[in-house]
Amino acid sequence: MATFRLQGSKVLAVDLTGDAVKAKNGSMVAYDGRMAFKKLSGGGEGVRGMVTRRITGEQMEVMEVKGQGTCWFADRATEINLVGLDGDKLFVESTNLLCAEGSLRTGTSFTGLRGGASGQGLFTTTVEGSGQVAIMSDGPAVLLRVTPQYPLSVDPGAYIAHQGDLRQKFQSGVTFRSFVGEGGGEAFQIRFEGDGLVYVQPSERITVGGDA
Amino acid sequence: MPFREINSRMVEATVAPGQKLYSQRGAMLAYRGEVSFTPNSVGGRGGLMSMVGRRVAGEATPMMTVEGSGTVMFGHGGHHVQLIGLTGDTLCVEADRLLAFDGTLSQGTLFLGSQGGVMGLVRGQVSGQGLFTTTLSGHGSAAVMAHGGVIELPIVPGRPVHVDPQAYVAHHGDVQNKLSTALGWRDMVGRGSGEAFQLELSGSGAVYVQASEEKL
Repeated sequence: MATFRLQGSKVLAVDLTGDAVKAKNGSMVAYDGRMAFKKLSGGGEGVRGMVTRRITGEQMEVMEVKGQGTCWFADRATEINLVGLDGDKLFVESTNLLCAEGSLRTGTSFTGLRGGASGQGLFTTTVEGSGQVAIMSDGPAVLLRVTPQYPLSVDPGAYIAHQGDLRQKFQSGVTFRSFVGEGGGEAFQIRFEGDGLVYVQPSERITVGGDA
Repeated sequence: MPFREINSRMVEATVAPGQKLYSQRGAMLAYRGEVSFTPNSVGGRGGLMSMVGRRVAGEATPMMTVEGSGTVMFGHGGHHVQLIGLTGDTLCVEADRLLAFDGTLSQGTLFLGSQGGVMGLVRGQVSGQGLFTTTLSGHGSAAVMAHGGVIELPIVPGRPVHVDPQAYVAHHGDVQNKLSTALGWRDMVGRGSGEAFQLELSGSGAVYVQASEEKL
């Protein structure tokens, strides 16, 4: 089984013993042993996944790395976070997905209005099964727990991923007045309700709703 | 060792009378004491041959000599700074990544085309780093810049390390490097994984790899 470990906060080391991982195209920085790199057209899930990806614009350039040895991954010096999946599903923006164990299934999911506001498209990537995933964030990510008693609202630009049994809805925190003139820069949020975890980065992408 | 890490982006060097160090011109951030900075017409020392080598190689990042008595802080462009200690071995690093180094180290240039034949020649073109690299050898330390953090990977005989040319920062020890490809011809023409070329480093030593594929 592939072992994921962080070497510092910005480099991921994956030990492989003949098995495979899926990783963002071009994110390998070094390896020892024997490795083969193969581009996965469409990013997994066969033809169906490929078609979905084409339609949704959730283009994930993925490669399969297979071999024996250690492979190191990094991308534009962004922080890397390890997520363990135990039969559940992780929702993550494709731009934030660095690497996933080969046994995990990847797919796409409709996000509704949230994508429109965060400027990330209407679809998001899902990773499902049991194994490890490495996700990227701009600055160290924090993990926030959502319970039925404590829903959470997140800036669409600071949101990177979530897992568990969560419903998300798009909310606008503004009245007409604040919209036309006195915006606090926090016009839209995503509200998470249910039971699960949300990963938030200490940085905001430039978004339609955010304070650009 | 006169160098000390202040944080990941800044190093402090102590200079004493009779000692000197070299740094990239304009990399001084602050200093205490009586310290003078003299621009070098050609990077570092190493005599006429080194000078000629540098001119030809284009490895001519402007350097300055730092002398006097006090402490000097160095940093550049907000880049991550890594201190590398040398104990009689040779460090290979691109000149534009070299922030500062002990005056006790001797500097030279290495023609990379002589390693690995044609692929060695191609290396510079692929990595965008030219055909020559700067070498430092002796006892002392050097401060090297990188984008993002740096990891040090050991190279042991029989276990070569392959590095993305854009993520390569520097290496030291008794190491040969050549450009290798991890792909068959079919992969190259159609379906690139973005990992078409790597630098293969073999021998014994260590290679420094940055957490990014961006050049400085």
